[in-house]
Amino acid sequence: MKDLIRGVILIVIISFVLMVINSKLGEGGSRSSKDSITVYNWGEYIDPDLLKQFEQETGIKVIYETFDSNEGMMGKIEQGGTSYDISMPSEYMVEMMAEKDLLLPIDYDKVPNIQNIDPYFLDLPFDPKNKYSIPYFWGTLGIAFNPTLLEGQTFESWDSLWDPSLKGRVVLVDSARETIGMGLNSLGYSLNSTDLRELRQATDKLNTLIPNVKAVIGDEVTQLMVNNEAAISLTWSGQAADMMYENEDIDYIVPEEGSNLWFDNMVIPRTAKNIDGAHAFINFMLDAEVAAQNADYVGYSTPNEAALTLMDPEVIEDERFYPDEETRSHLEVYKNLGLEMLGIYNELFLEVKMNMN
Amino acid sequence: MEKLSKLPKIYLAVVFMILYAPIFYLIYYSFNSGGGMSNFENFTLEHYAAVFEDKRLIVITLNTIIIALLSALLSTVVGVLGALAIYFMKNKSMRKAVLSLNNILIVSPDVIIGASFLILFTIAGVKLGFTSVLLSHIAFSIPIVVIMVLPKLFEMSPTLIDAALDLGATKRDVLTRVIIPFIKPGIFAGFFLALTYSLDDFAVTFFVTGNGFSTLSVEIYSMARTGITLTINALSGLIFVVTVLIVLGYYAISRKAKAPLAEVKR
Repeated sequence: MKDLIRGVILIVIISFVLMVINSKLGEGGSRSSKDSITVYNWGEYIDPDLLKQFEQETGIKVIYETFDSNEGMMGKIEQGGTSYDISMPSEYMVEMMAEKDLLLPIDYDKVPNIQNIDPYFLDLPFDPKNKYSIPYFWGTLGIAFNPTLLEGQTFESWDSLWDPSLKGRVVLVDSARETIGMGLNSLGYSLNSTDLRELRQATDKLNTLIPNVKAVIGDEVTQLMVNNEAAISLTWSGQAADMMYENEDIDYIVPEEGSNLWFDNMVIPRTAKNIDGAHAFINFMLDAEVAAQNADYVGYSTPNEAALTLMDPEVIEDERFYPDEETRSHLEVYKNLGLEMLGIYNELFLEVKMNMN
Repeated sequence: MEKLSKLPKIYLAVVFMILYAPIFYLIYYSFNSGGGMSNFENFTLEHYAAVFEDKRLIVITLNTIIIALLSALLSTVVGVLGALAIYFMKNKSMRKAVLSLNNILIVSPDVIIGASFLILFTIAGVKLGFTSVLLSHIAFSIPIVVIMVLPKLFEMSPTLIDAALDLGATKRDVLTRVIIPFIKPGIFAGFFLALTYSLDDFAVTFFVTGNGFSTLSVEIYSMARTGITLTINALSGLIFVVTVLIVLGYYAISRKAKAPLAEVKR
């Protein structure tokens, strides 16, 4: 009994000491919500030095939290409990959150730096007139491949994936919109097609790709590509940048027939407490120098036109991540096709997957 | 103990190797100057320096440890009391019912527990943060402690209690000098199991963190999209070393304590 009590006392003392250390590290403790904002972002998706700079410039303390999926993030915002002042949903999630009335409109009088954003990235179908959201980073869907494993073969189009020499080498993403979209694009149709005949054709075409398919998987494709265990994969540009960072042999292209254009966006959730602070933060992140520094740290493509002039020319001339006008004109943002249409996409994708066995 | 022949020894070595290889692989790459976990370029300590520079990461790590220690402690206290209550229940079917309710909590998925806690806390007006995480960790640890302690209680011969009472022990003496010393191994097992459950829980914790309070598992999961940095490898390495030191320290202390054990415990 005695040693149990001793153990209890020890644990309490250790916890207490750790708490004291923690509150010392926590810099000045908690202040009122007036001079702090809570930012909810993907992990490793901002340069932490910028948060410090923002705190120094504005005197607003940043409480920073991270999430790992759009859906989880929306769940927590919807339920309340924590007041997030800024969040970073992907484009389809912006649409969904706006529909559920979870977002506050952005007051552009407080965000003069919006002029830095390339107009090409504004007023898109998922958020007309950018009522609720401002793009933070963007990217494409394309083909990541490793020429050293393919005897120097390169790719320009979706169609080239059907090359008979690629038997059992292509890795697909386990996601209906992406895979069916690739089929549609390769036939020259829109990613957002709701024409059942076009969808049928795309599915039939994907069925002929089956001999070339190695696997249909999720995020673990990054590791397969990095370790030279897979040679070709359907990949988002951000993921491709991560692959290249770890394995220099890997290359990435945006297929010429067209592809998907995706965004992560800054929004102000309805539960925000410090709305002025949130606007100040958005405006700060849109500053040319700040955006350039952030893009350099994160390694994704920034929609900030003014920032591009401050960045390493080698980076912004890299057409894989900053495609030219010509390629851009073929890119499409996913539209919300409604539940029924999404069901059809899922069914067709399932059909392709079933045919693989 | 019988001496091990060669084959079992080899088997043991292989099993341990498989269990420890991933950890050592992780630690090995924490010294890699090239950014990733694939090819080792040069030896560097920069990732370890990064751990100590990243105040947020340290705060989160300490939070995780505090939550684990306190929740394990409190859930052990509640769990032991619960196990005693179940043990002394006279009505058999009642005992069975309570035990089943306890087991359902162990089996039910973390996601559901997490989501229901989120709803409960927001309705009750508990601010998400330290308190909500601590309470939910205590809650999901209690059934585990009960399950660890209960078999020890049933293992104990009931005549032991009768004998103590016959010899003039008060009820309090029976509890503190007979029952608790007997079930101590179960209490320790329950405590450490609760500790590890709390340390690595993601599903429940994700729902109930908020207002800037976060734990290590939530933080690491959210890095999945942009890639986990080697700073996390370095941190894992440090945690591993600390754990090994604690285990070694525990053995050193318990061996020292055992030596003069000849004297009667009071």
